[in-house]
Amino acid sequence: MMDHAIKLKDVSVSYLQSWNGVTSLKDFLMKASFLHPFRKHEVLHHIDLEIPKGDAVSLLGPNGCGKSTLLRTIAGIMKPDQGIVDVTVPVSPLLSLGAGLEMELSGYDNIRIALIMSGIYTRKNRRELIDKVAEFAELTSEQLKKPAKMFSTGMLARLMFSSVVVHQPQLLMVDEVLSVGDWGFQIKCIKRIREIIDNGATLIFVSHNPKEARQICKRGICLIDGKIVYDGNINKATEVYNGMFYQ
Amino acid sequence: MKEYRGLTLILLIYKNIQLKYKQTFFGFFWTLLHPALYLLIFVAIFSNVFQTIPHYPLYVLSGLLFFVYFSEGTNRLCAVFLKNSHLIKSIGLPKSSYAITELGSEFVGFILGLIPFTVIMLFLGLKISLNMFYIIPVILLYTVFIYSIGIILGSLNVFFRDISILWSTLNPAIFYLSPIAFTSDIIPVNFRYLVYMNPLFHFLQIVRDVLYFGRPPSLHYSLICLGITVMFYFLGLGIFKLTKNSFISNL
Repeated sequence: MMDHAIKLKDVSVSYLQSWNGVTSLKDFLMKASFLHPFRKHEVLHHIDLEIPKGDAVSLLGPNGCGKSTLLRTIAGIMKPDQGIVDVTVPVSPLLSLGAGLEMELSGYDNIRIALIMSGIYTRKNRRELIDKVAEFAELTSEQLKKPAKMFSTGMLARLMFSSVVVHQPQLLMVDEVLSVGDWGFQIKCIKRIREIIDNGATLIFVSHNPKEARQICKRGICLIDGKIVYDGNINKATEVYNGMFYQ
Repeated sequence: MKEYRGLTLILLIYKNIQLKYKQTFFGFFWTLLHPALYLLIFVAIFSNVFQTIPHYPLYVLSGLLFFVYFSEGTNRLCAVFLKNSHLIKSIGLPKSSYAITELGSEFVGFILGLIPFTVIMLFLGLKISLNMFYIIPVILLYTVFIYSIGIILGSLNVFFRDISILWSTLNPAIFYLSPIAFTSDIIPVNFRYLVYMNPLFHFLQIVRDVLYFGRPPSLHYSLICLGITVMFYFLGLGIFKLTKNSFISNL
């Protein structure tokens, strides 16, 4: 059966983390931490997850619970220590704040990079694509000629988001990017995400706004300390999520 | 996924070259300025001291060009994973491709810079002969050596941010321990081992064989260079493989 887009089986992910906050050789020697310079930090514990094609899933959980790590594992950016990650659809670049941006290059160059990373950029369609991205992002050519470092956070998010959703991705992963855009742009993004889902794409949506999650997704997954504590209806999931903070 | 990898690599090289020369009026010529300036200083100061070395400017220039390639290449690779942290976090491109493209753009700059300097070297006494083509395998081996050193530094720099500071401090030391402006026989015998321990010494021998003496590189030093490169390559690969999966959490 190939009807799943993503299937994780008993997946655990960990990474080396410096101990005592050692980030320099000086600390390393001074704090005499060379006996145990790094410790293994397990972020995700035995995750089992199946997402069918065309599903829109919201990922909810407090900061540091492993949401981004889960997205990165699905995107193939991080390798699991154990378990099987099976993704049957092409992955678009992860939409997270500041991802893939080169601050010294112009807005146009950054659009080009993002489009190439999505695998949709060709010599023939580039002009049309770039114009479409600029139009969706509501950025003028004057703004886009400036280096990305002069952009505001909201403008950067607009640029990245627009570059990825300009075509119909098959698997879209959105990691909290919407929160920095202004109200008008957020509504526009949600509309576009809905369109993408209606056209058959699979979505994983990370947001700290339960209302937004309910608007877009039918299914919600709650993550605490790298474990799935709830997986099911979005309304129940957002209740679980709210319950994490009001005990 | 696979089909656009090639395009992505080319784009990254292009992006690196563009970034390096962005907002500089002379652009590419700045890279030529570095060795040219040092050449002038050395020739002005040391020409009289080293009258025993024939074609002294040629001797200096051949060494300088290769040292600058080494120092620029390793310094850039040292910072490469930090510099590309945004991309590493959002795209599942193999991490080695960032290092390869970074050195790739440095390589392009080095080769382009070699063209005007070869003309200058011809004026300084380099003889045109078929032996000049031996420089191609020498450059390729040297590039693999720089890549190996660079990837060790780059991997460790993710975890210990002062590696890059330490390395740029060590660079002048390596410079003065390499026979660039002098010949190694002026060093007192009891300190000569310091020079022999410096891998660049051995590479400079084969570079000078070709670009200064106009002869094929000596087998003895070629084999040493090959050995050094193979050793550092596997060391670099080992360190990189061991650490690469933990880059993301430390970037």
